[in-house]
Amino acid sequence: MAQDAIDDWFMQEVLPLEPMLTRFLQRNWRNEAEISDLRQEAYARIYEAARREKPGLIKPFLFQVARNLMIDRLRKQSVVSLETMADFDWLNVSDDKPSSEAHVAARQELRLLQEALDGLPPRCRQVVLLRKIEGLSQKEVAAQMGITTETVENQVAKGMRLLAQALGGRRGAVATQSRRYNFLRRSRDAG
Amino acid sequence: MPAEEIEKLAAAWLAREDRGLTAEETAALDLWLESSSLHKVAYLRLKGTWRRADRLAALKRPAARETDESHLFGRGLFAIAATLLVLLAGGWFWWHMPKAQSYATAVGQKQELRLADGTRLELNTNTRVHATVTASRRIVTLDAGEAYFDVVHDANRPFVVYAGNRRITDLGTKFSVFRNGDDVRVTVREGRVKVEILGQGSAAVPVVADGGHEVVTKGNETLILAKPDTEIANDLSWRNGILVFRDQPLAEAAEQFNRYNARQIVVEGNARRIRIGGSFRADNVDVFVLLLHRGFGLSVNDQGDRITVSR
Repeated sequence: MAQDAIDDWFMQEVLPLEPMLTRFLQRNWRNEAEISDLRQEAYARIYEAARREKPGLIKPFLFQVARNLMIDRLRKQSVVSLETMADFDWLNVSDDKPSSEAHVAARQELRLLQEALDGLPPRCRQVVLLRKIEGLSQKEVAAQMGITTETVENQVAKGMRLLAQALGGRRGAVATQSRRYNFLRRSRDAG
Repeated sequence: MPAEEIEKLAAAWLAREDRGLTAEETAALDLWLESSSLHKVAYLRLKGTWRRADRLAALKRPAARETDESHLFGRGLFAIAATLLVLLAGGWFWWHMPKAQSYATAVGQKQELRLADGTRLELNTNTRVHATVTASRRIVTLDAGEAYFDVVHDANRPFVVYAGNRRITDLGTKFSVFRNGDDVRVTVREGRVKVEILGQGSAAVPVVADGGHEVVTKGNETLILAKPDTEIANDLSWRNGILVFRDQPLAEAAEQFNRYNARQIVVEGNARRIRIGGSFRADNVDVFVLLLHRGFGLSVNDQGDRITVSR
């Protein structure tokens, strides 16, 4: 596949599955702090595979990759508790029916976006509003809000990360992180 | 490198891309992307999100629908002629330069100003606005305070006021916007305005208010009230430096005075609930508290920058 075609394929076909992938990882991986690492690595593997050959069915392939990735990681860890293994939810997602998440109706999409937008801090939200709704350039946004162009650039960077997080369904990552991490550490120490 | 660090770098690159990359930067970005698939997917993930956010533009419904179509053609021609003139005048640079102007008033100050399109603004006490008027758009953001707008209507160039995530679109109007944090009140004197709360999911149904109405938004709630002309006039009396109260609790009246003066009135105890009416000069705190003393027998303790009123 040509580079641009892979990029488009990745953004249009793979990324919409992110909420599902995130939930899958969260169900099967105790350490919440590592979820975003796992997800990024799964994406990288899929992207590299697509460079060689475009996968047929995306969803089973994505979950297969995520599964293998978790197994690899578990093997590297010195202790694998039985409980961890038993928790794996392997067989839950094998069909490739169009999921509701991959094919969100336009109106629902707008609602999702608006909710994500609402979760942004006020200044960041204002920057995104002016940039995306009014179509102002970053320079114009800076002038309009009486802030520097550097600040606008930083807010844009922050905005896209927060939007991606909200749309990717990674809920309460910061809050749940320490609890899950402690659990893993305890099971390691016990071994 | 943890995913989060890569994501931060990817976001920084995309934000730079969003403002425009130099050739050198483009080369550096390509290098960064090629060096690892982890970089590449983090970049694509955010790029996809940012593109997805383009659909938010659907929130910007055309204001022209609500206006008289017959004027559009003439205005369109005029706009084209004006545009050509600007371009011919070597205005290309002007066209691409942001034109935002900032205006602010101190406590107790008022300011009247005219924007490039002829629209007249009156800023009330302690107010800060930024205005961008170009050939294609007119946007005012109200950071804080209160402003009255007498808008020169132009269907091809809607006049938009942002007060936080409240978007107020002029549909041919004289109106006033008061912002106190996320509480926003829009008073429409003539014509109509559209008020939207952005970022509220499906609840974001725009409200269109005609002259003689007031739109009050608090949190996610939007209330539209019909008001007699006299009350609208009272609400806008600040334009003449006058505060008008009609059977309002003293605490509220004091809050109004406090917007205009460095010397703050503090009403204590059950005196807060006393209801008062009348019209007062916003800058004359002394007369107001004297009347409270004489009319209601309240005790007044003047400590300079703080005046305590109690029973």
